[in-house]
Amino acid sequence: MTPFGLWSAQAAGRGVKRNEKVGGFGRARRVRCARVYPKRREAKKLSRIFGLSALFLSAALLVSASAQDSVRAALDQYCVVCHNQRLKTAALELDKADLAQVPQHAELWEKVVLKLRTGTMPPAGARRPDVATYDAVASWIETQIDGAARTHPWAGRPLLHRLNRSEYGNAIRDLLDLEIDSSALLPPDDSAFGFDNISSALGVSPSLQERYLSAASKIAAVAVGDPHSPPSSQTWRIRQDLSQNEHLDGLPLGTVGGVEVRYNFPLDGQYRFQAKLYRTNLNIVRGLETAQQVEFSVDGKRLHLASIGGPEDLASLFEKPTETGDAVDARLNVEVPILAGPHAVAVAFLDNAQFAEPARLQPFLRSSVDNFDWAGHPHLQTVTVTGPFQPTGPGDTPSRRRIFVCHPSSPSAETPCARKIIAELVRRAYRQPAGAADLQRVMKFYEAARTEGGFERGIQAALERVLASPKLVFRPERDPVNVEPGSSYPIRGFEIASRLSFFLWSSIPDDRSLQLAGQGKLSQPDELDREVRRMLADPRSEALVSNFAAQWLELRNLSNVQPNTNDFPDFDDNLRQSFRRETELLFESVLREDRSVLDLLNADYTFVNERLARHYGIPNVYGSGFRLVAIHDEARKGLLGQGSILALTSHAERTSPVLRGKWILENLLGLYVAPPPADVPPLKEQKEGEKPRTMREQMEEHRANPVCASCHKTLDPIGFSLENFDAVGAWRAQDAGEPIDATGVLADGTHVNGVVSLRQALMSRPEVFVTALTEKLLTYALGRGLDYRDMPQVRAIVRGASRGNYRFSALILGVVHSAPFQMRTSSEPRTTASPGRSSAEIRE
Amino acid sequence: MFVSKKVLPRRRFLKGTGALIGLPLLDAMVPAFTPQAKAQALQNLRFGAVYFPNGAIMQQFTPKTFGADFELTPILQPLAPFRDHLIVVTNLTRSHPGSQVGDHAVSAAGFLTGVWPKRTEAEDVLANTTIDQIVAQKIGQETPLPSLELATEDFTGYVGGCSPGFSCAYMNTISWSSPTTPLPMEINPRAVFERLFGDSGNSGERLARLRRESGLLDSISEDARDLERELGPRDRARLGDYLDNIREIERRIQHSEARGAAEIATPDAPIGTPDSFEEHASLMFDLTAAAFQADVTRVFTFMMSRELSQRTYPQIGVGEQHHSVSHHQNRPEKMAQMVKINTYYIQLYARFLEKLRSAPDGDGSVLDHSLLVYGAGMADSNGHATDPLPVILTGGGVGRGSRHVQLPVRTPIGNLWMNIAGKFGAPVPSFGDSTGKADVVS
Repeated sequence: MTPFGLWSAQAAGRGVKRNEKVGGFGRARRVRCARVYPKRREAKKLSRIFGLSALFLSAALLVSASAQDSVRAALDQYCVVCHNQRLKTAALELDKADLAQVPQHAELWEKVVLKLRTGTMPPAGARRPDVATYDAVASWIETQIDGAARTHPWAGRPLLHRLNRSEYGNAIRDLLDLEIDSSALLPPDDSAFGFDNISSALGVSPSLQERYLSAASKIAAVAVGDPHSPPSSQTWRIRQDLSQNEHLDGLPLGTVGGVEVRYNFPLDGQYRFQAKLYRTNLNIVRGLETAQQVEFSVDGKRLHLASIGGPEDLASLFEKPTETGDAVDARLNVEVPILAGPHAVAVAFLDNAQFAEPARLQPFLRSSVDNFDWAGHPHLQTVTVTGPFQPTGPGDTPSRRRIFVCHPSSPSAETPCARKIIAELVRRAYRQPAGAADLQRVMKFYEAARTEGGFERGIQAALERVLASPKLVFRPERDPVNVEPGSSYPIRGFEIASRLSFFLWSSIPDDRSLQLAGQGKLSQPDELDREVRRMLADPRSEALVSNFAAQWLELRNLSNVQPNTNDFPDFDDNLRQSFRRETELLFESVLREDRSVLDLLNADYTFVNERLARHYGIPNVYGSGFRLVAIHDEARKGLLGQGSILALTSHAERTSPVLRGKWILENLLGLYVAPPPADVPPLKEQKEGEKPRTMREQMEEHRANPVCASCHKTLDPIGFSLENFDAVGAWRAQDAGEPIDATGVLADGTHVNGVVSLRQALMSRPEVFVTALTEKLLTYALGRGLDYRDMPQVRAIVRGASRGNYRFSALILGVVHSAPFQMRTSSEPRTTASPGRSSAEIRE
Repeated sequence: MFVSKKVLPRRRFLKGTGALIGLPLLDAMVPAFTPQAKAQALQNLRFGAVYFPNGAIMQQFTPKTFGADFELTPILQPLAPFRDHLIVVTNLTRSHPGSQVGDHAVSAAGFLTGVWPKRTEAEDVLANTTIDQIVAQKIGQETPLPSLELATEDFTGYVGGCSPGFSCAYMNTISWSSPTTPLPMEINPRAVFERLFGDSGNSGERLARLRRESGLLDSISEDARDLERELGPRDRARLGDYLDNIREIERRIQHSEARGAAEIATPDAPIGTPDSFEEHASLMFDLTAAAFQADVTRVFTFMMSRELSQRTYPQIGVGEQHHSVSHHQNRPEKMAQMVKINTYYIQLYARFLEKLRSAPDGDGSVLDHSLLVYGAGMADSNGHATDPLPVILTGGGVGRGSRHVQLPVRTPIGNLWMNIAGKFGAPVPSFGDSTGKADVVS
């Protein structure tokens, strides 16, 4: 079997351009046509690859009849030996396929393109064409398909979209100027195709519906400042592996450890702040040997300073651990008046120069290595805010300023003012001008509650009603009347405005966007360009970092990365957070400075703080804040040298060339890798007295199993090239006492040795990486999985962006101007719709 | 566990009849396709498991005599009023490989799972689906919350091992929804209250709120119908689901209204977590009793304290820490203290039983329609003994009560869980390391 043996083309895609070094050229062997049974075929991988298409082909070749003849000749020479009407290998009958009708059979031909662009076919051992022929045949087929797609663009049809949790939170922020913790109000969303904004995965259920109702009621109460809000409490938990012996970014200078949280105080009133110290598994408070002070502050102003630790506490600790702990915690308690609105609450230890770490043979960077040790620096475990007690009023909060655009001076002014407030809320929340029926429905709630509890109570009820509406929670896009089934039509301006804002901001459109939509300007390409650039420059486009990049690059998985403390005793949450921040900042710099997306692979700069710089061996960086630094070490350039990626593709105690190979294939090259079959034997653990084996030796044992080998022959060699980075992304020259062997072979046969040559190999075919990124962006922008019908669009976006050196904005604009973004395909009758379902959807 | 109620069968039903909208909700469809007769037979039987840590002084726990006339031991004395609904089960053991007995983490993780959990401090925890979740999977869809998991000690932020070699996950919960999914236990009574009853304070406010919500639901259905008119068939189907959900919530509201919110004595909405253990544990019991009575859930687990707990109980004259006392080295004064703690826990539990007994439910009380386990995954804790585990069954669901059942020595606890799974109409061919169904409840 070839390295590609288990990848079968089930969807259109793209891929690694073949390199001439592909093995197997010279070895003449009798071709064995694999018989692929349907069941096995399903278990096979999907790979999706393509390269630059028409660029390689001369125009003459495109139009001449002889081009078709040459393609036919190439197919006959290299493919038909297996894929013919008699053998029907992979159900492909290329001898019968009519080259005059390529676009009509695009699904089939995209598979062929995929095989050619990946070099998957002909298989190793069979006679293969030269690179020029590979390119010419693939390009000719692509040109046929793309030409037809231009005249009949396929737009697709995402299912009715529900706002996911983070979109809902951002919508509230932008609608009401109110920061809420949507993860506390709504359950997490399912994801598909790598993202949590995929409409087909955003289902509805009664319990979810109840959560939306309850969220609407709570948000309305806080936003308006319901004077009857009962006291409640919120607790923040600090990870135990967060080191608390160093200053943390954002906390007051002169403090170490602790936590800062943003909290929206619902009313002016008294609030109680309670911190609790971390205790060992036996409930012994940690770190009471030395006297310490704990500072409570709000918006940087000190509220309370508590003393803990020292000889007395220590003596009592051994006497009565639980009571002592409770007594110490009781000192970490203060009740003070706070004004309503958002405030930053910080609790941290004062930096105590006298504090000496207990003598250890090897001091670790992580300040609490296990749950058993009571000595060392104290740690905070939780901070709780409870209140309001004795509330004095709703105060003056950003949300009230946003909502109350008028204040009725007399009872008769109330109704017109309410109408004004509600019309504004409805317009922004429903993302289009408010209809009379919409207003009427909401006004009813205002009126009922107004009679019962006054004007503000009325507004609160109206707001709750607006927030609970399916017109906020869903993003409806309506079919025009009399549209022909299965045809694509441009969507309305307000729908474009919503698609734009949810793509770029993960939120609702702002006034400016709605205004442009109302004036019909979003259908003018220049206006649209300007609007996209404005939105990218807006701070809200940070959503592309936290939602798009964090999911594309799998950064969200970092919080689950827990390297074994015995092997990596220095690894702590501070480093974990720094990893994530570095990658986010790199992506953000490409976004904000409109750099080439290739900088993600190749940037000669990065962002580090002291902790991360120490991890990478970068000198002269001090403090908890991040800063831009130039990279002089070639190995650290770009994503492949970043701790985030290297750690999230490792196991707790060792690296995983498999996960690293998979991560690169899926996220940088756009190839899908199927999960392993059930009952895979694990790697053998090292027995007592046995010589430790290197990762490569272990993996080679693993590949002795032919079932494993079929996939791992492709995955592992890519991952091996990163073996110089250990499981937490630190540089190493040895593994198990042996020098690192970082040689590997890429899917297209390129030999690499180490991360630098791996990166160079990726950079040598930039369109491969850009296409992978484009597919991800388009998936995210549309909220649906892609299939073969989308491939012409993807190719067009990449071609367009290549002219501007793949600048970030060029990709975004390409997506925004593409047919699937601008248009929608009307629904077809059910019977014909199902066979047309994308293979991507079938994969679900 | 808070999973959504499945509405799919009902949707299919709606599609099958060709009616998408405006179909009145038929009583027979609620809960979706539960055969009416079967629902009657189960008589809303509830299941609960209450766990206490650090084992017990078994000589003072296990009755000396067997059968119907057994004599209650000092520790069990508080259960005297519930004798008719009581079975003491002796000679159960927790799973353990060979001579390994394991310690505290394994005791908590092995109790309801019936297995020896995988030794790891990393993420790859592995145990077994617990009996409460087997029951919840069977009956949990009939109530708004399939199950409730409660505890009083907060160690949820802990990473790595909490007992040498064993992950904190094993000690922080006794409930697992799958062999790899430990369910987090809620320690904040306020959060529990909100999940059960919403955020309103007293029952009158709650009723008013339910009525308000009803009006809100009517109104937003109109919005949904606006959208429906403009959408294509697939989108309409999704919106149809949405409207179904609204009706499902309305049904729940009507259900709550019909019961009369006043009838259910819920505690006042707690503000946060009480400082005193007794107050905290009692509040959790009260919330559970209210949830059972209001039929918000029919399955709960409650870890009264965590294994290795170092609490002291000055209120009952025990100044030394629970865990230290439990390693009593057979010193009489320490053992006496341990008996005090064991008895104290049973007292708190008995108060809960009393609450359930005074809550009317159909033809009897909630206690009549409950099958509750009280026990631990450790016997005498001095040497971390794995048997005979202290296990008591209470409630009308036990069948014939007032019994002390002596099983063969070292009967795997999975045998009892098989028995209980069958009782709830969810028979399993085996349970963890079970060797065959025990015949305890009928």
